[in-house]
Amino acid sequence: MGFGQFLSAPEAKLRIVTYRDIFQDSAKVSSLFGEDYEKLSAVIRLDPKDISKLAIKEGDTLLLKNALGKVVVKALSSGYEKPHSGTAYMVNSPWSNALVPEDTGGTGVPEFKDFEVLASSAKGAKITGIREII
Amino acid sequence: MKLDNNYYVCTGCALLCDDIAVELEGGKLTKVHTACRKGFAFMKGCSSPMECTVDGKKTDLGSAISEAAGILRNAERPLIFGHANSSSGAQKKAIGIARKTNGYIDDTSSFCQGPMVEAIMEGRLKTCTLDDVRHKADVIIYWGADPANSHPRHMSRYSYFPRGKERQKGWEEDRTAITIDVRKSDTAEICGENGLYQIPVKGDAEFMDALVSALSGKIPKTSYDFDKKRVLELASILKKAKFGVIFAGLGMVYALDDREPLYRLMDKLNSVSSFHLIPMAGHYNMRGFNENLFEETGYINRVKFNGTEVLHGPEYSVIEALRQKAVDAALVIGADPSSSLPRSVVRYLEEIPLIVIDPCQTLTSLKANVTIPCGLVGVETGGSAIRMDGVEVELKQITDTDRLSDEEIMTRISEAL
Repeated sequence: MGFGQFLSAPEAKLRIVTYRDIFQDSAKVSSLFGEDYEKLSAVIRLDPKDISKLAIKEGDTLLLKNALGKVVVKALSSGYEKPHSGTAYMVNSPWSNALVPEDTGGTGVPEFKDFEVLASSAKGAKITGIREII
Repeated sequence: MKLDNNYYVCTGCALLCDDIAVELEGGKLTKVHTACRKGFAFMKGCSSPMECTVDGKKTDLGSAISEAAGILRNAERPLIFGHANSSSGAQKKAIGIARKTNGYIDDTSSFCQGPMVEAIMEGRLKTCTLDDVRHKADVIIYWGADPANSHPRHMSRYSYFPRGKERQKGWEEDRTAITIDVRKSDTAEICGENGLYQIPVKGDAEFMDALVSALSGKIPKTSYDFDKKRVLELASILKKAKFGVIFAGLGMVYALDDREPLYRLMDKLNSVSSFHLIPMAGHYNMRGFNENLFEETGYINRVKFNGTEVLHGPEYSVIEALRQKAVDAALVIGADPSSSLPRSVVRYLEEIPLIVIDPCQTLTSLKANVTIPCGLVGVETGGSAIRMDGVEVELKQITDTDRLSDEEIMTRISEAL
């Protein structure tokens, strides 16, 4: 039992932008319940500064939560040259949709590509499985 | 083994590529040539095919159809949703079922490309076909779109790399490709060092107005201080276009509160050059549903039938219908709302009787009271669909199946009603 466990994990508020990925999409078509689809979907891509801020390493698991739900996903660096601290990217999937706000302001269109989450380290935790989401 | 020299259509996305060659062995598909990674995955079929069930127990088709009809008959306000991965024939039957049951009917365009398709069908936005793009387009803008991932053969088959009739020098000399996006996508990489105009999230409307200013000879201003020189350079490229096209992706659609900034830009562009817009519809027959419902009701989506009256508006959208718990049963065909909609919205589907019709198991089907498998359209069954640019495409059957087509299932449910 170390002193570290009494310290709360740093948190970061992140703006999530979603995108499409051909490899993830093909994996979905092949096998929605397969490992490949989960591996390519349950991922968040961060700015290196946010990775430091959250005191995690690339490949660690991260808990993402907001008023709508929570999921554990793998954290990776975005690889973008242009800094984007505070904004992170997730491929469109049931994992991102678990966090999309339902309020549409009467338009009938949720903010699939622009919503906020609170992120914190979930080191050692298992990535949320697709059947746990529904 | 024999190489089938007929060409088939891939129903993996709304490009509906019609140059697919296949190899068959014993009536089964063994190889798919020409299709992209996604198309190949789609055509070879899923690893978890749907089974015919009622309340989680396997049953025969007749019983499942009878149960589905019973659910719809007993409902006062059923929702008939999906349709983007359905044949046009099945879509027309679905509209008939919604009418017969005083139901809500909506499709994925409701939270996707609906606003763009609607503007095109109302004649408010100038459009063209993908074949026009291949043969004529010299300036191509991918706005909030990343076809390298969403529609893998888009750039090679139609929009950038082909040597069209009037673009024989191809992408090297005859075409300029531009990406306007919030991030450096794979498509932006292809557009080259100066081809990306990276704007902030929700910065699209301002960027459109800045372009209108630049095209009008004024200084282009944005609150996020986008490099004015670059906007002026872009305006100059657009002005010189002989045949320009904007491919509107979801990044653009979701960023606009209304279509006015886009209308201002398109009107301005068409006063100085010639520009068209094509919505980057994702699923293979989303556009087909829009056109079929429009023909029946004058609306492309978000409809509720009420006797002879046709109601339309955001309150009849799938999202609001589920959020407000306004529907009391649902039939989902050719879509997987539990995958594609916010979890908090689709949770309500678990509280009402639910029917799912699809070739494959889906997240939605795991919670359904009735599941009915249908043939994979474009592989196991034929039909027709409408491409993202509004061109109708015939779909031929490639292999045999003992499953009914989506249209036949909808016909039988309709008859059982």
